[in-house]
Amino acid sequence: MSRRLTAWIDYALALVVLLAAWWFATGPMALPTYLLPSPLRTWNALVGIAVSGELWLHLGFTLQNIILGLALGCIAGIALAYVMTRFPKLAVWLDGPLVILQTAPKIALAPLFVVWFGFGVTSKIILIFSLVFFPVFIGAIAGFRSLDPMMKDLAKLLGLSTVQRFRQIELPSAMPEVFVGLKIGAVQALVGAVLAEWMAGKFGLGYLMTFAAATYKTPLLFAAVLMTVVLGLLLHVVLTVLENRLLSWKGAKNG
Amino acid sequence: MAQSERMIDIAGVHKTFVADHGTVTALEPVTITIREGEFISIVGPSGCGKSTLLRLISGLDHATGGTITLDVSGRKRPVGFVFQEPVLLPWKTILDNVRFPLDTAGVGRAEGDKVALDLIKMVGLSGFEKALPRQLSGGMRQRAAIARSLSDDPPILLMDEPFSAVDLLTRDTLNDELLRIWQSTGKTILLVTHSVEEAAYLADRVMVMTARPGKLKCVHDVDLARPRGEETKLDPAYHALVAQLRRDLRTPGGEAH
Repeated sequence: MSRRLTAWIDYALALVVLLAAWWFATGPMALPTYLLPSPLRTWNALVGIAVSGELWLHLGFTLQNIILGLALGCIAGIALAYVMTRFPKLAVWLDGPLVILQTAPKIALAPLFVVWFGFGVTSKIILIFSLVFFPVFIGAIAGFRSLDPMMKDLAKLLGLSTVQRFRQIELPSAMPEVFVGLKIGAVQALVGAVLAEWMAGKFGLGYLMTFAAATYKTPLLFAAVLMTVVLGLLLHVVLTVLENRLLSWKGAKNG
Repeated sequence: MAQSERMIDIAGVHKTFVADHGTVTALEPVTITIREGEFISIVGPSGCGKSTLLRLISGLDHATGGTITLDVSGRKRPVGFVFQEPVLLPWKTILDNVRFPLDTAGVGRAEGDKVALDLIKMVGLSGFEKALPRQLSGGMRQRAAIARSLSDDPPILLMDEPFSAVDLLTRDTLNDELLRIWQSTGKTILLVTHSVEEAAYLADRVMVMTARPGKLKCVHDVDLARPRGEETKLDPAYHALVAQLRRDLRTPGGEAH
């Protein structure tokens, strides 16, 4: 309890120092607002869009895409990893194409996704999906392959069905590795979501940034950047809580 | 205890593996009949095929030739298996682990809990129902594994060096508890071990196996009074048997004497 408290105090102190430096740069150092708006101006811009409802519209759009992309990427990554460990022949065939796809910079493919899938939600979710899929897939492969052979004997001995084996033994035992991939994927998902919104569309925090930059509204730009930082933190916290709950059996780990 | 009925009939069962440099004989033909309720120990050095034999009986591996007949009247899970390691699911509590065979067989939660709690009590783990495997010592984990192997009430219990990973004192205790469980449940038990003392102390019959190639060398009847306990270990007959088993293991494999 007290250890947690000191950790919070440390966080708060670091934040205060950062804010003070920010304020110092804009106040006594008098950097112009178009380069660096003051904390107060940024805050006012943020409150402005929060009150007008604009913020929630954009934040909701970005968040929705991230959640959908994460969920789909996760399901597909785990599913393909499972099929490939079950059928090693398939793994041999798919290895080459997967390495090419995996090493291809997905960000560079983003414009292509827009061409293929349009300016709407689809192309954005596909970009996020492609960024989430590989880390989860690689983690899940490692997880399924590290399954204790004795567990396989146990499953065979108990005559478990494929579904029982997957749900009761294979998936839970692969979860720690899946989570390693998922946490990398979540960071990527945020990058992908913002980037996709820079390129096309009229919604999302990414769009808000390009709009603010194009109209020289630096405080608004800062507000949008700040919100993506908050969103990133939020994702991190949610995943850490989820990890602690799902993987508490591993013991001795707290975020 | 009725020991007349045949429980396991092993007839000319053998096993060869295909390796890079040809085939390797893991087990030369074995023939033996095991009666219902019998306690059999199998001793032998590494590579004598004792674990292979157990895996063949359990159906985990298939024999190259010969037949194994289990008199279990079409049960889906005729054998319980206790591995060298506990092989508990680390994300499940002890209660959930012990109930696992019942859960996956479609037994209702309430009924499963009742059976599992009784078994947990029998193996001396009361109070640890909600604990996770990692919170228990090696000996306690192995007790949980024994409880799990018994939970769907298989007539046959196969144990592959179940106590090799626990310390000697714990091992003695676990052996006595195993005898108590055997006596109260009437299971047919096959226990593989490295220890001739353990083999002689526990069993009705001891199968001695030798390595390279793995084969059954001889079978000894153990005429020690039951129930067995500390006084058994002072019995000259026990010491004579232990000495005999050691001699059997020391003389080279194929030679008769």
